[in-house]
Amino acid sequence: MIRTEGLTKRYGKLEALTDLNLSIEQGEVFGFIGPNGAGKSTTMLILSTLLAPTSGKASICGYDVVTEPKAVRQVVGYMPDFFGVYDNLKATEYLEFYASAYHIPASRRRSLIADLLELVNLSNKADAYVDSLSRGMKQRLGLARCLVHSPDVLILDEPASGLDPRARIEMREILKELRRMGKTILISSHILPELAELCDKIGVIEKGRLIACGAVDEVSVGTRGISVMQLKALEKQEVAEKLLAEFPYVKRLDNKNSHFRFHFTGTEADKAQLLQMLIEAGVPVVHFGESRENLEDVFLAITEGVGS
Amino acid sequence: MVEFFTNPLIVKEMRERFRSKRTVWILALYLFVMGTILLGFIYITQLNEPYNILMPGENYRVFLLMAVIQFGMICFIAPALSAGAISGERERQTLNILLATQLSPVKIIVSKLLTSLAFIFLLIVASLPLYSFVFLYGGVSPAQLFILVLFFAITILFFGSLGLFCSTWTKRTGVSTIISYGLAFFFVAGTGVILFFLVSLLQEVNRPEYTVDYVWNMPAVQLLAGLNPVITMFDILGRPIEPAFEFFITPWLYYAIVYTVLSAVLIACSCYMLQPVRRPLRLGLGRRRS
Repeated sequence: MIRTEGLTKRYGKLEALTDLNLSIEQGEVFGFIGPNGAGKSTTMLILSTLLAPTSGKASICGYDVVTEPKAVRQVVGYMPDFFGVYDNLKATEYLEFYASAYHIPASRRRSLIADLLELVNLSNKADAYVDSLSRGMKQRLGLARCLVHSPDVLILDEPASGLDPRARIEMREILKELRRMGKTILISSHILPELAELCDKIGVIEKGRLIACGAVDEVSVGTRGISVMQLKALEKQEVAEKLLAEFPYVKRLDNKNSHFRFHFTGTEADKAQLLQMLIEAGVPVVHFGESRENLEDVFLAITEGVGS
Repeated sequence: MVEFFTNPLIVKEMRERFRSKRTVWILALYLFVMGTILLGFIYITQLNEPYNILMPGENYRVFLLMAVIQFGMICFIAPALSAGAISGERERQTLNILLATQLSPVKIIVSKLLTSLAFIFLLIVASLPLYSFVFLYGGVSPAQLFILVLFFAITILFFGSLGLFCSTWTKRTGVSTIISYGLAFFFVAGTGVILFFLVSLLQEVNRPEYTVDYVWNMPAVQLLAGLNPVITMFDILGRPIEPAFEFFITPWLYYAIVYTVLSAVLIACSCYMLQPVRRPLRLGLGRRRS
């Protein structure tokens, strides 16, 4: 559905994207993870026909993004990370404008817009002016706007950025519904955990290079010889922290009161040795075991040392 | 053609622009001010007339005054109305979304131009009945008024295209507006200054062979004079600024041709610059670039 081959974008001497090779199948949800300036938005702009690549090829549904932009635009719904709305229009008028911009016949627009507003839970705001909507509502309206021409592919750049937790959950539920509808979705996000349960595949991008790509399980921390451990001590937290910090296989130690979370790069025997050391030091350990990894762990483990 | 003029962008822009109460108030205020000036002028003019009436033909000054006010308004409003058309979309972060639809850059540019200038055309059309006062007393031919309206329309089109070009070229509406005004000022005042400088220079350097009449009858001087909107307008109004001479081409026709072509060039450049992925101008050579 989405293919890129050696996709590269340079701005003068700066290489924003280097030799990107992606393959996303129909109905897949692909999560793009990476820090600011990693090249996520550049990739999405190229795929949305809004930016020309310096070299390489990209196609969506078989249409080349450079030579067949009109065809690509008809099958792609693009939502940028920051976007504005036309304040003097009502929600229905806003969607009607974009529906007609995609040549949707006037006779179909009314029912289509009603369905879209229903999908994004904005039916009660149909006649409200866009500037009166909250940020979360505007974001959902933006998502409805992406869907007016019923595209097969959705390119969503940080759809949940700036939203409060409730609005983020609402957005995630809508995205799950879209996945059920069989849409192919390319989504990027800073808030990594929100992608975990949504994506079939993830791609980690850093400094313009795709450094890991595959199913969430494949790109897990465990496959890299790292486990995410958790420890809870009732007392003597300072002693526990000192021991953990000095232990050679402990990385990225995070202390949240009496809870410790860290990456462990040693063997099972090393784990046993660490636990023994803690007990011998008189630390009252009530929990010592592997923690469920999240995408933040994946991202941190994969990007370890990439920037240096 | 009908489809083009009912394209979604035109409908949306018209809806946004004419929905606000401000539009109605500006139109009402404009007509009130124009009407007050006109009636006030007529009142003052007939004060010392023996029979308290405006003599036929003497109201020509009213016609002149209205034309000058309207021209000033066009110079002031037309560039500003279109100077934010594209940069405004960019600032509102709606341009990328617009470009990702099936609306082509040509459609976007032309729609923006039409909707930006629709309001000023509305002001001109709405003020036409005020000119009927002039007809009431005679002295101005319908053909003269028609040519004047045509002159206004071409000037509006040019200044609008100029503003739109600056809006596409620059990222910020503020910068675009300043550049638009600067360029408009050059065409209104700058061409005149250059013209009078050139005429004086030619006269002084070639004294005494080059008389005033001789210099003003030189084709190059006439072509430059025809580019100046103020000179052309006063020519249409029958009160030429320059010494009376015979143009080798009808001044307003020359003005119309030149400024229509310039407007078309500016619109074409704007369409080219708005493309998200620009094709190289020399087709077949070089690669695509953004």
